[in-house]
Amino acid sequence: MARIAFDRSVLKVNQTILMIAIVVGYVVGLAYPAVAWILPVLAVMMLAAVASPALNVPRILYTQVLRPSGIVKPRIVQEDPAPHRFAQLVGGVFLAAASVFVIADLLLAAWVLAWIVATLAFLNFAFNICVGCIMYAQLVRIGVLPLHREPAR
Amino acid sequence: MILLLAPLIALAIVAGTALLLRAQRGGQRKLVGSVVETPRLQRQLPSILYFTGETCTICHTAQKPALRTLAAGLGDDVIEIREIDIADEPALARQYLVMSLPTTIVLDAAGQVTDINVGFASGETLRRQLVDAGMPVAA
Repeated sequence: MARIAFDRSVLKVNQTILMIAIVVGYVVGLAYPAVAWILPVLAVMMLAAVASPALNVPRILYTQVLRPSGIVKPRIVQEDPAPHRFAQLVGGVFLAAASVFVIADLLLAAWVLAWIVATLAFLNFAFNICVGCIMYAQLVRIGVLPLHREPAR
Repeated sequence: MILLLAPLIALAIVAGTALLLRAQRGGQRKLVGSVVETPRLQRQLPSILYFTGETCTICHTAQKPALRTLAAGLGDDVIEIREIDIADEPALARQYLVMSLPTTIVLDAAGQVTDINVGFASGETLRRQLVDAGMPVAA
């Protein structure tokens, strides 16, 4: 079992940013609809984090600021980071779809998708229920995704 | 303002999906009392099928140690435990409608499903279920 040392605090920081940005953006967006443009920003943040660790803003914030200052403590676990990365990808795709709705000025649809992402981020943050990871396991089970390991980021 | 509905709709979608998953597990419970053809279970003993996967943390940190302790306490001649990685045997996972890891399925000596545990099952729970499946009480 070649599991990998993996810091869950990076995920927690990512989930916190998502929850705060979406909830605050939504509330402010009720008065100022243009705030919905935060959703494309979040989509880019999520998809960039999946694409490269160098572009992972929550990770950079954690490793450069939050961890050195002691605000967030490391939570190292031995596990495969691939399911979590897949979960991030799913969140990024949802936010990308929300961004398309923002561009099309369909704000209700955009915020519904954003709230789904925020809800799932909350479930993971508070209860460690990673729905994207469950999806990943199911896709591996039915053979859609290959089972392979990637280095921790 | 219609935008106020956004969180409610999102919560309804998430809750609806959760209910669908729950209903699917209901289908799995219907396996109890039936016999599913299971390769490599040849001995006529009560047995446990332990479905696991490389990405399942709780499988490796909790379920496997619990099964190991249970097996050590009971002995190989009393029960049979078969570990099944769903990536290696997806067909078997489909047959048993495994949707979550870990899943442990208790079979009696005839191979009939007597209990299904979705998520971690303690050694004590499994021991009780094995007794219900016909394992000698003295074991």
